Amino acid sequence: MTLTLNHFLVLGAALFCIGLYGALTSRSALRVVICVELVLNAVNLNLAAFSAYVAPRQAVGMSFVVFLMVMAAAEVGLALAIVITLNRANDINAIDSIKRLRG
Amino acid sequence: MSTSLVFFYVYAAVAVAGALGLVFARNLVHAVMSLFATLIAIAALFLLLGSQFLAAMQLFVYGGAITILVLFVLMLTGPRPEAGGRSKEIVRLLSAGLCVVFFGAIAMIIWQAQWRISPSRIHDTASIATILFSRYVLPFEIAGLSLTIALIGAVVLAREDDVIEAMEADADTLAAGAESAAAEVDSA
Repeated sequence: MTLTLNHFLVLGAALFCIGLYGALTSRSALRVVICVELVLNAVNLNLAAFSAYVAPRQAVGMSFVVFLMVMAAAEVGLALAIVITLNRANDINAIDSIKRLRG
Repeated sequence: MSTSLVFFYVYAAVAVAGALGLVFARNLVHAVMSLFATLIAIAALFLLLGSQFLAAMQLFVYGGAITILVLFVLMLTGPRPEAGGRSKEIVRLLSAGLCVVFFGAIAMIIWQAQWRISPSRIHDTASIATILFSRYVLPFEIAGLSLTIALIGAVVLAREDDVIEAMEADADTLAAGAESAAAEVDSA
């Protein structure tokens, strides 16, 4: 038994599905944000694994991971700003009680 | 079993346990700490894949910056109970079913697929740098620009409202001043 690409892919799929379940069922806006972070991390793992096993000579997959990390940082910054604004405006934290985003 | 496989199982166990803790922990601080464990485990998995650069990035960006940012927001918004607790039973059941089916489908595809595995494993920071600054230099710049824009937007969104109101009031007085000046010019 050696370490293969499939190990990484199955782990990535498992993390993706756990994050998806959390994002679908959580009622706390903050928890939804961090579950989305988990999903992005699972995708990162998949990209890096494919890059390392299938096309190791060019680090294309690895550079995609770098782009994804930048986008994840932007996303989490904006999402947390929205959480703060909602919390200040409506004094709520549960996302299904949010009916409007404007104003 | 090879050594790398043993290490893989250790890191994978930590990652999955952290992910489950993130979803099921009642306290949000505990959930963020579980996320931290998962992120560190994924950094270790990047090392196992032979990419030191990605492991370091994962530690800095996720383990350091994003975790601390989330904890800060958690403390700003206060230790408020998640209004009404968890979501409805039917929503949870449907989501669980969807996720299990999705995972099963992906796992089946993975076990049946034939990947064209390349034997050599050459990955150093220099190869990432070469490709980032040659073929993908334009996307790289765009990514930097969009990060800047997103963070400026985050600052504008999260700022206190009275600051924005003061700016709007300033703009109103400026406009009123301009109108009265125009009226004076007309009457003269």
